[in-house]
Amino acid sequence: MTAPAIAQPATARRKEGFSTFEIFVFTLVIALLTIAVFGPFLAPDSIYNSDIANSLMPPSATNWFGTDDQGRDVFWRLIVGAQTTLLSAFLVVTLYSLIGVTLATVAAAGPRWLDEGLMRITDIGLALPGMIVALGFAAAMGASLRSAIIAMAITGWPITARMLRGIMRQTMEQPFVAGAQVLGVSKWRLMTKHVLPNSLDVLIVKWAGDIGTTVLVLASLSFIGVGAQPPSAEWGATIAAARGYVSTAWWTVVAPGAAVAITSIAFGLLGDIIQVRRDPSLRGN
Amino acid sequence: MLAFRAYSWFLSRRLGLTLLTLWGLASLVFLMIKLMPGDEAQMAAGADASAAQIEAVRERLGLDAPVIMQYLGFLGRLLRGDLGTSIVTLQPVLADLEKVLPSTLELVVIAMLLNLAVAIPAGIVAAYRQGGVFDTTSRITAVMLGGMPAFWLALVLQYVLGSVWRVVPISGQQGYGMNSPVVTGAPTLDALIAGNFAGFFDTLHHIVLPAAVLAALFATQIFRTLRAALLGVLRSDFIMAVRAKGATARHMLVRHALPNSLNPVLTLSGAQAGAMIGSAVLVETVFARQGIGAYMFNAVAQKDAFAVLGSVMFIGTVVCLVNLIVDILQLLVDPRIRAAQLGSQGQ
Repeated sequence: MTAPAIAQPATARRKEGFSTFEIFVFTLVIALLTIAVFGPFLAPDSIYNSDIANSLMPPSATNWFGTDDQGRDVFWRLIVGAQTTLLSAFLVVTLYSLIGVTLATVAAAGPRWLDEGLMRITDIGLALPGMIVALGFAAAMGASLRSAIIAMAITGWPITARMLRGIMRQTMEQPFVAGAQVLGVSKWRLMTKHVLPNSLDVLIVKWAGDIGTTVLVLASLSFIGVGAQPPSAEWGATIAAARGYVSTAWWTVVAPGAAVAITSIAFGLLGDIIQVRRDPSLRGN
Repeated sequence: MLAFRAYSWFLSRRLGLTLLTLWGLASLVFLMIKLMPGDEAQMAAGADASAAQIEAVRERLGLDAPVIMQYLGFLGRLLRGDLGTSIVTLQPVLADLEKVLPSTLELVVIAMLLNLAVAIPAGIVAAYRQGGVFDTTSRITAVMLGGMPAFWLALVLQYVLGSVWRVVPISGQQGYGMNSPVVTGAPTLDALIAGNFAGFFDTLHHIVLPAAVLAALFATQIFRTLRAALLGVLRSDFIMAVRAKGATARHMLVRHALPNSLNPVLTLSGAQAGAMIGSAVLVETVFARQGIGAYMFNAVAQKDAFAVLGSVMFIGTVVCLVNLIVDILQLLVDPRIRAAQLGSQGQ
């Protein structure tokens, strides 16, 4: 049985195809991901060793972005750092999304008191300055990239939990959920197989933007000194290490900061694009 | 009478949330202390404490008692204002932080004024001329600024404006010999109180770049929010009526469109006030300003664990209290928020 052909309104049909801007953002994100995956295999071994004779050399044909205080090539360290930075950001967003999904599901499915309790805890999480609490956790566990990732995962979930729980409550009002209940589907199966998959849209929209923000916070924590430690090529740690050379060798600071900015902006724009595509009424805003 | 009951109901609910949040914060900080590797008494006493000193600290903090008793003892000490002792300054953390808090608040207040002074006019013009040159350039600027790490923007501008062009001082909060007697702890206010106008302009000269960097991050959010809200209002029927009666563009924007778009901006700027205090840690250190952020940064650098965690507790508390004050102010200022908050009492 084939569905009858329904005339699509002109605006809906025009949605096919991507604008130049969208293609630009996609290319940028794909390029960043490619660098993150393959970069470390391509980098010359010399970037792991110091070469003091060549320290703080300005950008040239051999060292595109110059060299740092240890004489290491800034460009190749950025490429290697891309993996550390992006992998950490993905890990953080995945971990706190998992926490958020779990709490939202329990809150939406559970009895009223449990829902109330979890949402008050979420209120507390939303009211506290996330970066400061993450800084505290990372400092307490011992400053390292691992500590920073765990700290950001345990402080990042409240917005996800709050949004998802709201959406799941709405989904539970849908007729198909009532239908499944009538058929005698267990609560667990109802939530995991019917309600959750139909509510995850909001996370897909949020995902890319979250990566962009996480890259920024991670760099900030490393800069403060509770994240990745030197000689890590993570971008925030690189900026922190180069900080003292800004007046003699600006490229050592400018390059890693620009890398953070480009990555954060690219993923932020990707998030905006996904959001507008999902909800075209936002177009132009 | 009814209004009074509605107010007190709102206030008690809001205060309840604040107390709950502070308790949550305290519990998180306790958890952080317990997560620290190594001997807690050793950490609190400092690396070169003698065995007897460590035992004295263990005794004082009750570290031999069960964890639940330690937790209660910790909450009790917090209630008495004991945030622990810094092993670097050898002072109570609270005393250290109270000294530098006015400096941070000064930075945040000036940053907030700059933020609104730039973002609101920009948002109005961008929305009024949607798709125009200004709209496009300011949107691109907002996206770029929003993605830049604050501390990096601070470092780059400090280098360009401070070292290369020399239009602003590189760091610090006042020039040599410009200081006024400390009354409030906020350099600009102290200079005014002392009637030291040269010193006042000197402190403003020192604060303009740090405040601008802090403002830039938050201005992008205000800009985007106001622009989106205005675009919605400008499309509505009553604006067409205002235009039809022959109002000037200025009158239409300022008297009709803007007041109807400010609600989300007010809410957002309220949340920003608290968030700015947290972000000050990134800006203060780059410009070598005093403040709670710089204190925390130094504590991290010197592995002064209790000073770091005391700062977390302190900054979190300040943020909660600022949010509380902002919420109450909004309630008093904005009739719509008042209606929404107080109206929900009947349900």
